[in-house]
Amino acid sequence: MALETKYADLISAAKTAGVSDLQVREQDNVLYIDGTAPSGTVKDQLWSVYNKIDPDFRAGDLVLNVNVNAAAGTKAKVITESSNLNIRKGPGTDQPIVGKAAHHEMVTILSNANDQWSLIKTDAGTEGYVYTQYLQA
Amino acid sequence: MKQIQGKTLLLGVLVLASVQFTDCKSKKADTDTSTNTTTTIDSVTTPAPAPVEISADDALKSGLVDATKDFPGVTTSVNDGEVILTGNITRDKLPTLMQAVQSLHPRKVTNNLTIK
Repeated sequence: MALETKYADLISAAKTAGVSDLQVREQDNVLYIDGTAPSGTVKDQLWSVYNKIDPDFRAGDLVLNVNVNAAAGTKAKVITESSNLNIRKGPGTDQPIVGKAAHHEMVTILSNANDQWSLIKTDAGTEGYVYTQYLQA
Repeated sequence: MKQIQGKTLLLGVLVLASVQFTDCKSKKADTDTSTNTTTTIDSVTTPAPAPVEISADDALKSGLVDATKDFPGVTTSVNDGEVILTGNITRDKLPTLMQAVQSLHPRKVTNNLTIK
Protein backbone atom coordinates (compact mmCIF):
# COMPACT_ATOMS: atom_id res chain seq x y z
CA MET A 1 0.00 0.00 0.00
CA ALA A 2 3.05 2.28 0.46
CA LEU A 3 3.35 2.83 -3.28
CA GLU A 4 -0.28 3.88 -3.58
CA THR A 5 0.53 6.60 -1.05
CA LYS A 6 3.69 7.66 -2.94
CA TYR A 7 1.74 7.94 -6.21
CA ALA A 8 -1.51 9.22 -4.64
CA ASP A 9 -1.37 12.47 -6.66
CA LEU A 10 -1.07 10.49 -9.90
CA ILE A 11 -3.97 8.17 -9.01
CA SER A 12 -6.23 11.09 -8.10
CA ALA A 13 -5.19 12.97 -11.28
CA ALA A 14 -6.17 9.90 -13.35
CA LYS A 15 -9.56 9.73 -11.62
CA THR A 16 -10.21 13.47 -12.01
CA ALA A 17 -9.22 13.44 -15.70
CA GLY A 18 -11.74 10.69 -16.46
CA VAL A 19 -9.44 7.75 -17.21
CA SER A 20 -11.74 4.77 -17.88
CA ASP A 21 -11.17 1.12 -16.86
CA LEU A 22 -8.72 2.45 -14.27
CA GLN A 23 -6.92 -0.34 -12.38
CA VAL A 24 -4.41 0.29 -9.60
CA ARG A 25 -2.63 -2.83 -8.35
CA GLU A 26 0.49 -3.36 -6.24
CA GLN A 27 2.44 -6.58 -6.76
CA ASP A 28 5.98 -7.46 -5.55
CA ASN A 29 6.90 -3.84 -4.75
CA VAL A 30 5.78 -2.49 -8.12
CA LEU A 31 2.63 -0.43 -8.63
CA TYR A 32 0.70 -1.05 -11.87
CA ILE A 33 -1.67 1.64 -13.11
CA ASP A 34 -3.67 0.70 -16.22
CA GLY A 35 -6.48 2.49 -18.00
CA THR A 36 -7.70 4.33 -21.08
CA ALA A 37 -7.18 8.10 -21.25
CA PRO A 38 -9.83 10.25 -22.97
CA SER A 39 -7.14 12.20 -24.89
CA GLY A 40 -3.43 12.48 -25.59
CA THR A 41 -3.34 15.65 -23.47
CA VAL A 42 -4.54 13.69 -20.41
CA LYS A 43 -1.91 10.99 -21.03
CA ASP A 44 0.86 13.63 -21.23
CA GLN A 45 -0.46 15.33 -18.10
CA LEU A 46 -0.35 12.04 -16.14
CA TRP A 47 3.21 11.38 -17.31
CA SER A 48 4.28 14.81 -16.13
CA VAL A 49 2.77 14.07 -12.67
CA TYR A 50 4.68 10.75 -12.68
CA ASN A 51 7.91 12.60 -13.63
CA LYS A 52 7.36 15.06 -10.78
CA ILE A 53 6.91 12.31 -8.14
CA ASP A 54 9.75 10.15 -9.51
CA PRO A 55 12.19 12.46 -11.39
CA ASP A 56 13.51 10.86 -14.62
CA PHE A 57 11.59 7.64 -13.76
CA ARG A 58 14.53 6.21 -11.78
CA ALA A 59 12.76 4.33 -8.97
CA GLY A 60 11.51 1.41 -11.09
CA ASP A 61 8.49 0.96 -8.81
CA LEU A 62 5.71 2.01 -11.22
CA VAL A 63 4.44 0.71 -14.55
CA LEU A 64 2.08 3.33 -15.97
CA ASN A 65 0.10 1.97 -18.91
CA VAL A 66 -2.53 4.54 -19.79
CA ASN A 67 -3.26 4.62 -23.50
CA VAL A 68 -5.48 6.65 -25.77
CA ASN A 69 -7.69 4.44 -27.90
CA ALA A 70 -8.71 6.45 -30.92
CA ALA A 71 -12.09 5.27 -32.15
CA ALA A 72 -12.28 3.52 -35.52
CA GLY A 73 -13.21 5.89 -38.31
CA THR A 74 -11.69 8.97 -36.65
CA LYS A 75 -8.83 11.03 -38.09
CA ALA A 76 -5.41 11.23 -36.46
CA LYS A 77 -2.36 13.39 -37.09
CA VAL A 78 1.09 11.91 -37.78
CA ILE A 79 3.36 13.30 -35.03
CA THR A 80 6.82 11.98 -35.97
CA GLU A 81 9.82 14.19 -35.07
CA SER A 82 10.18 15.31 -38.70
CA SER A 83 10.45 12.19 -40.87
CA ASN A 84 7.75 10.21 -42.68
CA LEU A 85 5.91 7.45 -40.82
CA ASN A 86 6.31 3.92 -42.19
CA ILE A 87 3.10 2.07 -43.01
CA ARG A 88 3.61 -1.69 -42.68
CA LYS A 89 1.87 -4.83 -43.88
CA GLY A 90 1.46 -6.16 -40.33
CA PRO A 91 1.85 -4.93 -36.71
CA GLY A 92 5.66 -5.03 -36.18
CA THR A 93 8.86 -3.39 -37.48
CA ASP A 94 9.81 -6.79 -38.94
CA GLN A 95 6.88 -6.41 -41.37
CA PRO A 96 7.48 -5.06 -44.91
CA ILE A 97 6.83 -1.37 -45.56
CA VAL A 98 3.83 -0.84 -47.86
CA GLY A 99 3.89 2.98 -47.86
CA LYS A 100 4.59 6.16 -45.94
CA ALA A 101 2.54 8.89 -44.29
CA ALA A 102 4.03 12.39 -44.27
CA HIS A 103 4.94 14.33 -41.11
CA HIS A 104 1.74 16.06 -39.87
CA GLU A 105 -0.45 14.27 -42.45
CA MET A 106 -4.01 13.37 -41.35
CA VAL A 107 -4.84 9.65 -41.63
CA THR A 108 -7.98 7.61 -40.86
CA ILE A 109 -7.85 5.02 -38.05
CA LEU A 110 -9.52 1.75 -39.08
CA SER A 111 -8.83 -0.29 -35.93
CA ASN A 112 -6.39 -0.76 -33.06
CA ALA A 113 -4.45 -4.01 -33.53
CA ASN A 114 -3.00 -3.87 -29.99
CA ASP A 115 -1.57 -1.33 -27.50
CA GLN A 116 1.27 -0.49 -29.92
CA TRP A 117 -0.08 -0.75 -33.49
CA SER A 118 -3.04 0.74 -35.34
CA LEU A 119 -4.48 -0.13 -38.74
CA ILE A 120 -4.84 3.09 -40.75
CA LYS A 121 -5.67 4.35 -44.23
CA THR A 122 -4.21 7.45 -45.88
CA ASP A 123 -6.24 9.82 -48.05
CA ALA A 124 -4.22 8.49 -50.99
CA GLY A 125 -5.60 5.01 -50.25
CA THR A 126 -2.59 3.25 -48.66
CA GLU A 127 -3.74 0.88 -45.93
CA GLY A 128 -1.53 -0.73 -43.29
CA TYR A 129 -0.18 -0.67 -39.74
CA VAL A 130 1.62 2.20 -38.01
CA TYR A 131 3.12 2.61 -34.53
CA THR A 132 0.30 4.21 -32.49
CA GLN A 133 2.70 6.41 -30.53
CA TYR A 134 3.21 8.52 -33.67
CA LEU A 135 -0.50 9.26 -34.02
CA GLN A 136 -2.35 12.00 -32.20
CA ALA A 137 -6.13 11.66 -32.07
CA MET B 1 -57.91 -62.92 -22.68
CA LYS B 2 -55.55 -61.29 -25.16
CA GLN B 3 -57.73 -58.15 -25.25
CA ILE B 4 -57.66 -57.80 -21.49
CA GLN B 5 -53.87 -58.21 -21.48
CA GLY B 6 -53.53 -55.49 -24.13
CA LYS B 7 -55.74 -53.08 -22.17
CA THR B 8 -53.80 -53.75 -18.98
CA LEU B 9 -50.55 -53.07 -20.79
CA LEU B 10 -51.86 -49.79 -22.23
CA LEU B 11 -53.12 -48.73 -18.81
CA GLY B 12 -49.75 -49.62 -17.31
CA VAL B 13 -47.93 -47.49 -19.85
CA LEU B 14 -50.26 -44.54 -19.21
CA VAL B 15 -49.81 -44.76 -15.44
CA LEU B 16 -46.02 -45.02 -15.79
CA ALA B 17 -45.91 -42.06 -18.16
CA SER B 18 -47.99 -39.86 -15.88
CA VAL B 19 -45.78 -40.72 -12.91
CA GLN B 20 -42.65 -39.86 -14.89
CA PHE B 21 -44.06 -36.55 -16.15
CA THR B 22 -44.96 -35.60 -12.63
CA ASP B 23 -41.43 -36.46 -11.56
CA CYS B 24 -40.01 -34.19 -14.22
CA LYS B 25 -42.17 -31.31 -13.09
CA SER B 26 -41.23 -31.62 -9.47
CA LYS B 27 -37.53 -31.92 -10.33
CA LYS B 28 -37.64 -28.76 -12.40
CA ALA B 29 -39.22 -26.89 -9.52
CA ASP B 30 -36.44 -28.10 -7.22
CA THR B 31 -33.72 -26.98 -9.65
CA ASP B 32 -35.26 -23.52 -9.95
CA THR B 33 -35.16 -23.03 -6.21
CA SER B 34 -31.51 -24.06 -5.93
CA THR B 35 -30.49 -21.66 -8.75
CA ASN B 36 -32.13 -18.78 -6.92
CA THR B 37 -30.20 -19.58 -3.78
CA THR B 38 -26.88 -19.66 -5.67
CA THR B 39 -27.54 -16.29 -7.33
CA THR B 40 -28.13 -14.67 -3.96
CA ILE B 41 -24.79 -15.98 -2.62
CA ASP B 42 -22.89 -14.83 -5.76
CA SER B 43 -24.10 -11.27 -5.55
CA VAL B 44 -22.83 -10.98 -1.98
CA THR B 45 -19.28 -12.23 -2.79
CA THR B 46 -16.93 -9.57 -4.25
CA PRO B 47 -14.73 -10.78 -7.14
CA ALA B 48 -10.95 -10.83 -6.54
CA PRO B 49 -8.95 -8.28 -8.65
CA ALA B 50 -7.45 -9.77 -11.82
CA PRO B 51 -3.70 -10.46 -11.58
CA VAL B 52 -1.38 -8.00 -13.36
CA GLU B 53 -0.66 -9.01 -16.95
CA ILE B 54 3.11 -9.47 -17.50
CA SER B 55 4.44 -10.14 -21.01
CA ALA B 56 6.79 -13.04 -21.72
CA ASP B 57 10.46 -12.08 -22.30
CA ASP B 58 10.26 -12.89 -26.03
CA ALA B 59 7.24 -10.62 -26.49
CA LEU B 60 9.01 -7.86 -24.53
CA LYS B 61 12.15 -8.19 -26.67
CA SER B 62 10.26 -7.88 -29.95
CA GLY B 63 8.18 -5.00 -28.56
CA LEU B 64 11.37 -3.21 -27.45
CA VAL B 65 12.79 -3.38 -30.99
CA ASP B 66 9.80 -1.30 -32.14
CA ALA B 67 9.79 0.98 -29.09
CA THR B 68 13.48 1.92 -29.27
CA LYS B 69 13.79 2.14 -33.08
CA ASP B 70 14.01 5.95 -32.98
CA PHE B 71 16.37 6.10 -29.98
CA PRO B 72 19.74 5.06 -31.45
CA GLY B 73 21.69 5.67 -28.19
CA VAL B 74 19.46 3.36 -26.13
CA THR B 75 20.23 -0.32 -25.44
CA THR B 76 17.78 -2.67 -23.72
CA SER B 77 17.96 -6.02 -22.01
CA VAL B 78 15.19 -8.21 -20.59
CA ASN B 79 15.40 -10.51 -17.59
CA ASP B 80 12.32 -12.34 -16.28
CA GLY B 81 9.95 -9.49 -17.19
CA GLU B 82 12.30 -6.73 -16.05
CA VAL B 83 13.37 -4.28 -18.77
CA ILE B 84 16.75 -2.60 -18.20
CA LEU B 85 17.53 0.55 -20.17
CA THR B 86 21.15 1.61 -20.69
CA GLY B 87 22.93 4.12 -22.95
CA ASN B 88 22.24 7.79 -23.58
CA ILE B 89 19.13 9.89 -24.08
CA THR B 90 18.14 13.55 -23.90
CA ARG B 91 15.73 14.54 -21.11
CA ASP B 92 13.01 15.79 -23.52
CA LYS B 93 12.83 12.36 -25.21
CA LEU B 94 12.82 10.28 -22.03
CA PRO B 95 9.02 10.40 -21.39
CA THR B 96 8.30 9.24 -24.98
CA LEU B 97 10.62 6.25 -24.55
CA MET B 98 9.24 5.38 -21.10
CA GLN B 99 5.64 5.56 -22.38
CA ALA B 100 6.45 3.10 -25.17
CA VAL B 101 8.35 0.73 -22.86
CA GLN B 102 5.82 0.73 -20.01
CA SER B 103 2.92 -0.05 -22.38
CA LEU B 104 4.55 -3.41 -23.26
CA HIS B 105 3.39 -4.93 -19.91
CA PRO B 106 6.82 -5.42 -18.30
CA ARG B 107 7.16 -6.62 -14.69
CA LYS B 108 9.29 -3.54 -13.98
CA VAL B 109 11.44 -0.99 -15.83
CA THR B 110 14.92 -0.11 -14.56
CA ASN B 111 16.20 3.15 -16.01
CA ASN B 112 20.01 3.20 -16.02
CA LEU B 113 20.17 5.72 -18.87
CA THR B 114 22.65 8.57 -18.84
CA ILE B 115 20.71 11.76 -19.45
CA LYS B 116 22.59 14.23 -21.62
